[in-house]
Amino acid sequence: MIDPSQFATNASRRRFLQTTASGLGTVALAQLLQDDGLLAAPGSNSLTRAPHFAPKAKRCIYLFMEGGPSQMDLFDPKPKLNELDGQAMPESLLEGVKFSFTKKETARLMGSPRTFKKYGQCGMDMSDLVPHLTEHADDIAMVRSAYCDQFNHLPGQLLMLTGSPFRGAPTLGSWLNYGLGSASHDLPGYVVMTTLGRGLPGGSASWSSGFLPSNYSGALFRNQGSPVLNLENPPGITPEMQARSIAAVNELNQQRFSDSGQAEIASRIRNYELAFRMQSAAPELSDLSGESPATLEAYGLNRVDKTGFESSFARNCLLARRLVERGTRFVTLFLSTWDQHSNLDSELATNTKISDQPVAALLTDLKERGLLDETLVVWGGEFGRTPLGENRSGFKTVTGRDHHPYSFSLWMAGGGVKGGQVIGKTDEIGWGVEEDPIHVHDLHATILHLFGFDHEELTYRFQGRDFRLTDVHGNVVKKLLA
Amino acid sequence: MLKSIPIFGLFAVVIAAGISVSRAADDPAAHWAYQPIVAPAIPQIEGAKSPIDAFVLARLQEAKLTPSPEAAPHTLLRRIYLDLTGLLPTPKEIVAFEAAWQKDSEAAYSAKVDELLASPHFGERWARHWLDLARYADSDGYLGDDMRLWAWIYRDWVIDAINADQPFDQFSLEQLAGDLLPKPTQQQIVAAGFHRNNLKNTEVGSDFELDRVKQVVDRTATTGNAWLGLTVACAECHDHKHDAVSQKEFFQLYAFFNNTKDADLGIELASDSGWTAPVYHDKPDAKISDKELGKRKKASTPKAQSLVELGEKDRRETFVHIRGDYTQHGDAVSPATPAALHSLTTAKDKTPTRIDLAHWLFDDKNPITPRVLANRVWQRLFGIGIVSTSDDFGTHGAPPTHPQLLDWLAGEYRRLGWSRKQMIRTIVLSSTYRQSSANTQPELPNDLLWRQNSVRVSAETVRDIHLSASGLLSRKIGGPGVYPPLPEFVAEVGRSVSWPESKGEDRYRRGTYIVLKRTVLYPMLTAFDAPDTSVACSRRDSTNTPMQALTLLNDPVFFECAEVIGREAYETHGNKLDAAITDLMRRSLNRPPTDAELNALKNAHRDFLKSTTSADDAESEGGATDPQLAMIATARVVLNLDEFITRD
Repeated sequence: MIDPSQFATNASRRRFLQTTASGLGTVALAQLLQDDGLLAAPGSNSLTRAPHFAPKAKRCIYLFMEGGPSQMDLFDPKPKLNELDGQAMPESLLEGVKFSFTKKETARLMGSPRTFKKYGQCGMDMSDLVPHLTEHADDIAMVRSAYCDQFNHLPGQLLMLTGSPFRGAPTLGSWLNYGLGSASHDLPGYVVMTTLGRGLPGGSASWSSGFLPSNYSGALFRNQGSPVLNLENPPGITPEMQARSIAAVNELNQQRFSDSGQAEIASRIRNYELAFRMQSAAPELSDLSGESPATLEAYGLNRVDKTGFESSFARNCLLARRLVERGTRFVTLFLSTWDQHSNLDSELATNTKISDQPVAALLTDLKERGLLDETLVVWGGEFGRTPLGENRSGFKTVTGRDHHPYSFSLWMAGGGVKGGQVIGKTDEIGWGVEEDPIHVHDLHATILHLFGFDHEELTYRFQGRDFRLTDVHGNVVKKLLA
Repeated sequence: MLKSIPIFGLFAVVIAAGISVSRAADDPAAHWAYQPIVAPAIPQIEGAKSPIDAFVLARLQEAKLTPSPEAAPHTLLRRIYLDLTGLLPTPKEIVAFEAAWQKDSEAAYSAKVDELLASPHFGERWARHWLDLARYADSDGYLGDDMRLWAWIYRDWVIDAINADQPFDQFSLEQLAGDLLPKPTQQQIVAAGFHRNNLKNTEVGSDFELDRVKQVVDRTATTGNAWLGLTVACAECHDHKHDAVSQKEFFQLYAFFNNTKDADLGIELASDSGWTAPVYHDKPDAKISDKELGKRKKASTPKAQSLVELGEKDRRETFVHIRGDYTQHGDAVSPATPAALHSLTTAKDKTPTRIDLAHWLFDDKNPITPRVLANRVWQRLFGIGIVSTSDDFGTHGAPPTHPQLLDWLAGEYRRLGWSRKQMIRTIVLSSTYRQSSANTQPELPNDLLWRQNSVRVSAETVRDIHLSASGLLSRKIGGPGVYPPLPEFVAEVGRSVSWPESKGEDRYRRGTYIVLKRTVLYPMLTAFDAPDTSVACSRRDSTNTPMQALTLLNDPVFFECAEVIGREAYETHGNKLDAAITDLMRRSLNRPPTDAELNALKNAHRDFLKSTTSADDAESEGGATDPQLAMIATARVVLNLDEFITRD
C-alpha cells in the first residue's frame, strides 16, 4: 500500500522539477525535500519501531578494543597477584579450564608492574597507563566483573558485537538502528571506523546486519580522504553535473512512477536525494577546519608516531563526536590489537599511548557540549587476560598473558549510566568473579534498556523464528543505571 | 494463547502459556504442507491458455478481478533475458526479436525462451540461486579466513549441472551423497562438496569439536531448508509442540551427517571442462603474503573439497544434545526421518545412509519436497513464492496463496522428470507470467497475481547488466574467482587479506565469479543484498538505500560502463541527439524513449554540455565544450534509472 502522504511529497517534487528542469543548483536540491529521511531505514521492510519506554541514551560510541585488554594492568589492581608472582596457581582453579596457548602444568602467576592510584571523588583505581582517563573517574562506571564463555577472538568478538558467537547475527548497532532508525538526515545511522594493526578477525562481519536487511549494516568510513566508498564523483563529473544528473534521474523516475505505479520508485527517488545530501555532508564531516586548535590538541590529533596509529585513532575519536553531533545513532571505533601474548608491558603502553588521550578528550568534549548525557560511551574488548604468564611452547621468556573470558574489565559512561562507581569484584588474583557477575548478554540487555528497549521484546523474525540480541538470556544491570 | 519466546543462535522455544487453544494446527501432522499431493482438478476457465492460467484466473474471477494484459514485447524480452540468463539482450538481438514478433509473436516468444534456456548463461544465472542455498563462499569465514582455493570447482559443477539440465533428483543425490555412490565419478565427488561450503573455524586453540558439531548442525539445517522448507534447526535445543520435527528427530537427521570427514581429493580436470588451474603471478603487485603465495603454489593440483564417510572403526555414535549442548548427551539416536512425513524405506537391518536420505526426498510419497522445489522456481520468476516464506513451510510459515496451483506445479515438476528447464519453460510460457507488471491499482495487493511483479534485480545482476549493456562483459564461463578493484581501506579490515586485483578480461567477469571472501565481502554485492554466506539463504532481501544510489552513481566499474556507452553513442551519432539518446535507451532499457523522456534527457544533455565548458571558455563566444563527456553523463543518467535495475 502506498502512503497517501507520499503523493503530496511527490506532487511538490514534481512541481519543483518542472520549474527547475534546467540549471539546477546544488543548494536547491538539498533544501528541497522535507526531512523525511531515516537514512538507515528506508527499505520497504524497514518500519522503525518505537522504544518501549523513555530512553536515556540516544546515541552510542562503542570503543571496541580488539584483542582483549589486560584488566589487571589497567583497571583491576591485584596486590595479591603481585605477591604471588612466579608461583603456581592452585590446581583447583585450573580444573576444566581451557587455554588457547598456555601450558597449564608449568604456568606461573604473573604480577603487574603497573602502579595504581585512586582517582576522583569515588576513588576509582586506575593504573599509570591511563593518566588522561583518570580525570573522568567520576563519569565512568567501571565494570570489573564482566565475563563471557568464549576464549577465542572471533567467537568472543562476535558474542560481544552480536550476542552470538557464531556468524550471521546482527550487530548491536544494527539492532539499535532497526529499533530506532537514524536521527541523521544526511549521514548513515551506523558508522564504523578502524585503527588496525593486523586487521579484524571478523572483517566486515564486525558491523554486519546479519539476518536483518542490509540497510542496517554499519557503513565503513575511512578517516582520510573521501570518507565513504563511492562518495566522490567520477572523474570529469563536476558537482554541478552531479546535481543535474540526480535531478534528471529523479525526473525520469518520477515519470516512470506515474506510469507504472511501482512504490519502489518513490523510495528510489528519495534515496538519490539522500545520497546527494550525503555527498556534501560526509566531506563536511571529515573537514576539521572548523575545529579549534585547542580541540585538535586535546584529542592529540597532531601527535606523530611511526605507525600513524596515534593520529588515526585521535581523528576517529573526534569524528565520532562529530558524527553523533550530526545524528548518527551508533559509531564503533575499532582499535586493534590488544592481544598481548608477549611483550605485554611495552605493547600495552603503546596501545594506551594511542588511545588514552583521545578517549579522555572525547569524554570531555561530549560533556562540554552537553552531549554526554544522551551519548553512551562503551570501552572494552571481547575478553580479558590471564593472571598467569603465557608460557606457550616456542616462547623463550614469559612476557605476556593469554585470553581470559572468566573475568575482565570494561567501562561505560554517559547515556544514562551512573558514573563514579566500580561494579563487581574479582578474586584476589583476578581469576574469577566474586561479586556481580555481568555476562555479555546482561551488558546488551542494559544497553538496550538505556535506549528504551525491553531486550525481550525487540525481535526480528527470520527463518521461522523470532530472534533477539540477547538470545534467551540477559538481565538489565540495575547498578549501572543512573 | 501461544507465546513465542524469541531467541538466538540455534535456540528457539515456543511454549504454551495461559489457556491452551485446541485447533488442527496443534497436531503438526495435520498441517497442509504434510498432506499428500493430490492432482487438483484444473478449473475450466474460458481463455485460460494453460493450467497455470486456469488456476490463477479462477482465483481472480472469484475476487472479481481481471488479469493484466500481456506486457509489451520489449518488456517481455527484457524480462526473460533477466530471469533466464541475468543478462540483457544486445541491440542486434532486440531487432531480430522484434522482426520475429511481427511475424508470429507466439512463435517468436517460445523460440526465444528455448534459446535462452539453452544458453550457457542460463546455468550461471540459476546456479547463483542455488549457491545462495549452498552458502557458497571461497573462504573459511572465521579468524584467518583461509581461502578455499578450489571451492570454485563446486561452483562450476553447479553451473554445468544446471546447463546440462541434470534432473533435480539426481542433482540432489549427488550433492547429498555423491561420495557414497558406487564408483563415484569425479563430478559426483565434487558435487558432494555441497556440504563443505559451510563456515569452518580454524582459529588456533578453538574448541574444534564444538565447531565440528556446529558444522553438522549447519549441514542438517541447510538440508532442511533447501529440500524440506523446514526450519529444523529450531529443534536443536528443544521440542516445539507445533513443529513437525522434534529434538530427537533433529538429531536423527543430524545422524546422517555425523560420520563424515572433510576430504580434499586431488582430481584430474578434463581439458575441455574449463577447469584449469589458476595462474598466480610470481611477483604479485598486490599485497600477497609469502605464506599465501606459497600456499597457492602448493595448491596447483586441483582438489575436490568433498566429504568422505568414516570407516567402521571410526564411526561416531550420535546422541541428542541436551539443550543443544554437545557435551550433554541425551538418548543415542540413529539416522531416521521425521515421523510427520512419509516413511523411509531401507534394506532390512541396514542403517540408512545419505543415499537413502536423498532417495527419500524424491520418494513419490513425499508431500513436501516437490512443493518446496516448485515454489522456489516460482519465486525466482515472480519475485515471491506461492508460499512467500520459501524457507518455511512449517506451521509458522505463510500459507500458499494458490494451494491448488502449487500442488499442480509440484506434480508437474515430477512428471517432467525433475527437469528444471522444462519447469521454468512451463511457467514462463503461461499468460500469468507474461502479464504486464504495471501497478495500475496501487491500493490492490498482488497476492492473486492480477499482474506480474516488478522486481529489483539481484546484486550480481546489477553488475552484470551494466557490463552487458556496455558490451564490456566477459562471457567466459567458470574458472577461479576474480578480484575486481577494491579500495585498500575496504580490503584491509580482514586479517592478512590479499586482494590481488584481476587484470584484463577478468575485470569484466559476471558478479557470480567475484571471490567471496567471507571477511571482505565485495561491498557492491553487499549493498544490493547479496547474502553473507553464513547460512543457507532461500530468499534475499530487497532493500532500497542511499548507499545503492551512491554505488550506481559513482562506482568506477559502473562509470566505466557509462563511459563506453556514452562514447560509442557519440561516435556513432555525433550531434544527432535524438538518435544518440534512443541508442542509449535501447542498449540499457531495451526500448526507445518516450517523447517526454527524450525531452528530459535532451535538456539534461544541454545542461551537461554547458557544464563541460569552463568558466574561461564561456566568456568567449563558442567556448570549447566536451560533447562526448556530455553524452557520457547522459548515459550515466540512463544507467541510474530505477527501470534499469528493475525487472518489470
